[in-house]
Amino acid sequence: MLELRHITKIYQTSSGPNVVLRDLSLTLPARESIGVLGRNGAGKSTLLRIVGNAEAPTAGEVIHHGRVSWPIGFAGGFNGSLTGEENCRFVARIYQQDIDYVIEQTREFAEIGRYFYEPVRTYSSGMRARVAFGLSMAIDFELYLVDEITAVGDKAFRRKCRAAFLERRERAGLLMVSHDVTTLGEYCKRCIVLHDGTATIYDSIEEAAVASESQEAA
Amino acid sequence: MTSAAETISSLDRRFGTRFVTLRKGLASQIEVVIALILRETRTRFGRNRLGYLWALIEPIVITFTFYSVLTIANRPVPSGMGLFSYIATGVLPYTLFSNTVTRVADAVSSNKSLLYYPQVRPIELVISRAALEAATFIAVFVLIMGTDAVVSQRLDLEEPLLVIVGLLCASALGTGLGLIFCALGQVSTVADRVRGPLLRPLFWISGVFFTADALPDNARDGMLWNPVLHVTEVVRAGWFSNYDANYVDLGYVLWWIGGLALVGLVLERWVRRRIDLT
Repeated sequence: MLELRHITKIYQTSSGPNVVLRDLSLTLPARESIGVLGRNGAGKSTLLRIVGNAEAPTAGEVIHHGRVSWPIGFAGGFNGSLTGEENCRFVARIYQQDIDYVIEQTREFAEIGRYFYEPVRTYSSGMRARVAFGLSMAIDFELYLVDEITAVGDKAFRRKCRAAFLERRERAGLLMVSHDVTTLGEYCKRCIVLHDGTATIYDSIEEAAVASESQEAA
Repeated sequence: MTSAAETISSLDRRFGTRFVTLRKGLASQIEVVIALILRETRTRFGRNRLGYLWALIEPIVITFTFYSVLTIANRPVPSGMGLFSYIATGVLPYTLFSNTVTRVADAVSSNKSLLYYPQVRPIELVISRAALEAATFIAVFVLIMGTDAVVSQRLDLEEPLLVIVGLLCASALGTGLGLIFCALGQVSTVADRVRGPLLRPLFWISGVFFTADALPDNARDGMLWNPVLHVTEVVRAGWFSNYDANYVDLGYVLWWIGGLALVGLVLERWVRRRIDLT
């Protein structure tokens, strides 16, 4: 179960404080896949970073039982001057996993051939996504935080991601940010819409998409 | 004889779940710091296995530069000290201190993406950088002084423990000060700008080119406020049999270390919520 209690997040910008999340409270059951929609700057990635404990909220608290992944996306986590393998090694180490197992699983999943042993800065965004997603699947989390990453890549990769995730649906939940409603629909039933710093939860992706669009138009 | 595992499990029983949580937390923290150190050696020194040699070369070059300058300038050396070991016992502790300040101050800003992993926090980044710097310099110190001993056929090393204490104090002072700069750097760009101008004069007043004993009385009192001067004094007192370092006060250095660490850790807690990952 994931519980967010009165989360507020304020960023200090040069033009004054920017309230991204305002007194947001949410309770989500364990092992459920939930999408997150919202316009640019609505706080989707911020929400994921706070749930993943990468960033502390300005006020409020996050309560969860079980292991939560880091926000799996393009922005963070990989060092460009290290190879894919070395990045996997580091992550396996800090999560106290079997290093060889994690590397092997990721290499197999990513299917990027010899690039796995090249610096990550030489990767295309699709290749990065392959390694990042494969790596997160090689570690058993109870809640996966996915930020846009499944929206890139070719069809085969997207199918593979979905298959890998369906396999652990019994054990793990998902909180997924995407602008692509189709992708969200493939993974999630329910969906959160972020607007004006608060969250509304909808029972279907379609309802959520309609709500999100009407906010964008407004 | 009881094994380590038995001792731990008996401690677990005795102190209950809090102790278990603390122990596991500490174990995973150590794991994270080790992972960060290994990663840092790769990113900093490159792919090559010999890359780490570069870390050794930098302080060696600095030592030789000053050695050459002072040889040419023909400056007098305190009695009983070889010119080379005199310079090295000043340059190395000072460079350890100042490099640690710089590395630690940049620890968060150059590793921000790692904060995506919740078990990596600023404090782990700071500890891993400080530890790598200290380990490198202790290796350099052994290498340089050992080579000098072989070349000059003379090894002073009066009190090894005191030398190590001195080097660790240099590292601890640098870590504390670096942590303060690191924390302030998250909320203001001023911290980064004043760091250089603040540190540069320290090089000239920290006993790299002089000893406290050799200073005139009225100058000495003022100079002894500087804890880094005490550090070089400790190292030289430990190294040379005929240098007593009459004015050194290790307790004073420890107060500085404690004070800087306290301020640094408080600031770190204060800015932790303000670190912007985007």
